[in-house]
Amino acid sequence: MTPRPPTLRENRRYILARIEPAGTAVEPKELYYAIADAVTSLWGDAVAGVIVQAVMSIENGHVIIRCLRGTERELTIALSTVTACRDTRLALRIVAASGTIESLRDRIRGGSTAEPGPENPAAVFDRKEIAIVYCNGQKVDVTGKGFKNAHRLFVTRSELENG
Amino acid sequence: MKVTDAAVFPYPCGDTSVRRFALEAKALGFDSIVALDTQPCTCEGVDVLSGILIREGQVKDVIPRVKRAREAGSVVAVCAGDNGFNRAVISLKGVHILRGMHTADKNGFDHVAAKMAADTGVAVDIDLSVLVSARGMARQRAIHRYRDILVLEQRFGFPLTLSSHARSYLDLRSVREITGLCSLIGMDSDAAGRALGTIGRLTEPAEPAVRVVS
Repeated sequence: MTPRPPTLRENRRYILARIEPAGTAVEPKELYYAIADAVTSLWGDAVAGVIVQAVMSIENGHVIIRCLRGTERELTIALSTVTACRDTRLALRIVAASGTIESLRDRIRGGSTAEPGPENPAAVFDRKEIAIVYCNGQKVDVTGKGFKNAHRLFVTRSELENG
Repeated sequence: MKVTDAAVFPYPCGDTSVRRFALEAKALGFDSIVALDTQPCTCEGVDVLSGILIREGQVKDVIPRVKRAREAGSVVAVCAGDNGFNRAVISLKGVHILRGMHTADKNGFDHVAAKMAADTGVAVDIDLSVLVSARGMARQRAIHRYRDILVLEQRFGFPLTLSSHARSYLDLRSVREITGLCSLIGMDSDAAGRALGTIGRLTEPAEPAVRVVS
């Protein structure tokens, strides 16, 4: 198929969203299905067909999502209803919208990122031994030690006691 | 005007500590949060208000709990029930918020209850967690109920509050996202801003009935 001349092409916009919690491994295809489900269930097939959302890339804990220009509002509202990707709980925090992917990549490079926990991550929270998974400034994500306590807790550095 | 999330459930009810909730709320544009079953404090510049959620089927069980909560200075929210229960709860002194309207009886909040809420200053809560996480009929029903409440609010002028009902910081939404979600139920950004500031107005000390001018 011959590509259309630029004046006849659809104008697109790109939305940058941060994936939380930090360090969540997400497949682009799975995230696309989660977003498509959120858009369709909120706005219906007719509007979803106009938005034509697509996951362009996942980089450094951020996702770049494409939509038709003028449908950013509908897409961002739908993105705020995304609560999980397959069985993984997550939230998408809108950072910016732009007409080019490159400017959003600049935003990703300029932002702070969460770091994996230290080598010896033992600490105590609420009189329970926990392991630090991720930390970003004051924010610390921990998991309980042992097979049964593997769910993640979200605390701050000042609430931890060193183990 | 303080921008407040009217209900969050910190650890151990949820997976996020109070301080972490305060940090995340600050990043999302809030000045204060109502944390249920915690002590009031200020964390990272965000006021954490103590909240009590009362889920009782009988008004006679609600009265002593409201009395205890009033003495503790907490924000008192009562889960809505049928029409008679709601009217009785609204007339109780010390109740700040009537919540759970989307699950309450269909005729549980009528024009008489709306008038009473406007007279007594009891707020009706819009629980955004239903709009965020529910799908299909459950969300459609909630949108319909909230639109109905907004019609009564525009007629009688009772206060509204907005709550994320978050058990994890992942359930919190930014002020901008909340404004977007409120547009689904026909609430414009001014009305959403007013609703976010309601808790600040409800909890500020009442002006004395008599003021000496000179």
